[in-house]
Amino acid sequence: MAKKQLTPVERALQKNRLIKKREKRLNRSVAGNTLLFVIMAICGVFMVLPLVMIVNNALKPLDELYQFPPRIFVRNPTFENFSDLFTLMNDTWVPFSRYILNTIIITGGGMIGHVLCASLASYPLAKHEFPGKKILFAFVVMSMMFSWQVTQIPQYMIISWLGINNTYLALVLPLWAYGMGLYLMKQFMEQIPDSLMESARLDGANEWQIFWRIMMPNVKPAWLTLAIFQFQQAWGQTGGLFLRNEELKPLQYSLQQISAGGIARAGAAAAVTFVIAAVPITFFLICQSNILETMTTSGMKD
Amino acid sequence: MSEEIKVTTKSPSENDLVQRNDKDIIQTEIVSGDNKKTHRKRVRMSLTHRRMIVGYVFILPWLIGFFMFYVRSVILAGRFSMSLMDMDANAGGYTLKFIGLENYIKAFREHATFKQVLTTSLTNMLVDVPLITFFSLFMAILLNKKFKGRAVFRAIFFLPIILNSGAISEMMALAQAMMNGGITPTASELSSSAGSGVLAFDIDYLISMFMNLGLPARFVNYLSSAVSRINEIISASGVQIIIFIAALQSIPGSMYEVAKIEGATGYETFWKVTFPMVMPHIITNVVYTIVDSFTDSAVVDLAHDTMFKTFNWGLGSAFTIISTIVTCAILGIVVFLLQKRTFYYN
Repeated sequence: MAKKQLTPVERALQKNRLIKKREKRLNRSVAGNTLLFVIMAICGVFMVLPLVMIVNNALKPLDELYQFPPRIFVRNPTFENFSDLFTLMNDTWVPFSRYILNTIIITGGGMIGHVLCASLASYPLAKHEFPGKKILFAFVVMSMMFSWQVTQIPQYMIISWLGINNTYLALVLPLWAYGMGLYLMKQFMEQIPDSLMESARLDGANEWQIFWRIMMPNVKPAWLTLAIFQFQQAWGQTGGLFLRNEELKPLQYSLQQISAGGIARAGAAAAVTFVIAAVPITFFLICQSNILETMTTSGMKD
Repeated sequence: MSEEIKVTTKSPSENDLVQRNDKDIIQTEIVSGDNKKTHRKRVRMSLTHRRMIVGYVFILPWLIGFFMFYVRSVILAGRFSMSLMDMDANAGGYTLKFIGLENYIKAFREHATFKQVLTTSLTNMLVDVPLITFFSLFMAILLNKKFKGRAVFRAIFFLPIILNSGAISEMMALAQAMMNGGITPTASELSSSAGSGVLAFDIDYLISMFMNLGLPARFVNYLSSAVSRINEIISASGVQIIIFIAALQSIPGSMYEVAKIEGATGYETFWKVTFPMVMPHIITNVVYTIVDSFTDSAVVDLAHDTMFKTFNWGLGSAFTIISTIVTCAILGIVVFLLQKRTFYYN
């Protein structure tokens, strides 16, 4: 079929129509974006609300904390709660800095060990073939189902059988072998193209080098996310089950002791909640730009 | 050794020569002296087997811990569930008396609420999983777009992960218990302040309206229960959103370009490019969501209470084992169904 010749006028008209069409589309996308923005804002409000509540509660004077019906926003902000908290901190059984040190050891040790063990183990699970791989992975998923609440007794028995009861290790070691990290890391490592590893091998890299130079940089967002999870998981531990010595107990424990002091401590408790929430959030904000922005393609397009 | 032979025997017609060579080598190995044999072995095993060994070495640290802490505790829980546990406070320690499946029978036949709690938490889970998955996929697509303040929004959507963690929620519950309503009433406060405004509407009215429209009751119930749990759904989808964002960013841009050149609409692009490419991560997220919602479901609470409040360790362990097995079965079925429809890019 012969193509119909267009007169210049017709062509101009068509062009005009195209431009109009494009404008229309532009408008629609602006409207769509606004709608999406509104949806996100609504969902975002739900998510921020608890945080807003925590911050405001920490700044509320005692009478406002007990006000009924309660309000979200503080009227007469005060730092009284925090000064209360500091006074209480000063007369604890052991020096307060000791609690902080304990927390750093437990949280840091748990987090670093977990990320390391999980990523080391997930590399062969994602990229190598060996007998028993599938069964092992199925077992990992199943083990995640057993939440700590119901395995408390067996856990305690194992810890005391290992003789690490009443040491930092009792809190740190179980975190290292937790299944969740392995699961997430494996899923992300599977996405890295095999050809990338293949070319590294051709260049003479051994498995260890491939792991550190190829795999880990490429799944950086994954292990940073994992670090955040693990940070807040380890951060939340009170160690009540395994630690008996007061000098070994983490910050969390002493803060809970402070805030469990009844009505008179309500202000301090609100401040404590703020502190407990603030640290992981700060940690998250530090890692955040790395997590969500640098998740690039694996450097290869095949 | 055996693996390599397998590889060659797979296509006998083509690799006849290679196969024969392999056999020859085996024979020579068997026949030849010790020294030569080990030498041969090392050279021949180097590629696949050495990699395999390296793989095991990589897994080892994790595996030791895993077997020590988790596998053992699962086995112990299984043993508890089949025995009657007696605590001896004076002598210290406990004694186990094997009673077989009695606890399991008790769980199903005698316990007042177990079956009910199990079914409700499983149904809640099954209701939540698709909602959470699709909500988080939707949110990830939105958050993956370029707009002003994206970083802030992403941070906001990550917040629930931090705020839902044990420590903070515990503290909030504690503070709430002490203040007798400091934190939970926010919702009621919001609704009461909205009640005077235009936003006020009666949910019951909406439900009855949908019913009158002739929609099946089950569907309406599903919707209304989903709406009433919107906060839980939103706050349970933080991790999933991150996983999806990562997945979306790993889709090569050239695919979208091709789709555009071929004249695909946005709708088509989503279903033909985006969706298949994130499908493996949908499985990841479904598994994560099921596990996550199971570990803080009512069944686990029931098991915990049975263990630590009524001190019936055996029965509590039986609850755990049963519910874990059921959930694993569901997980297996769901993953199997999804995997059939999954397209793996690599």
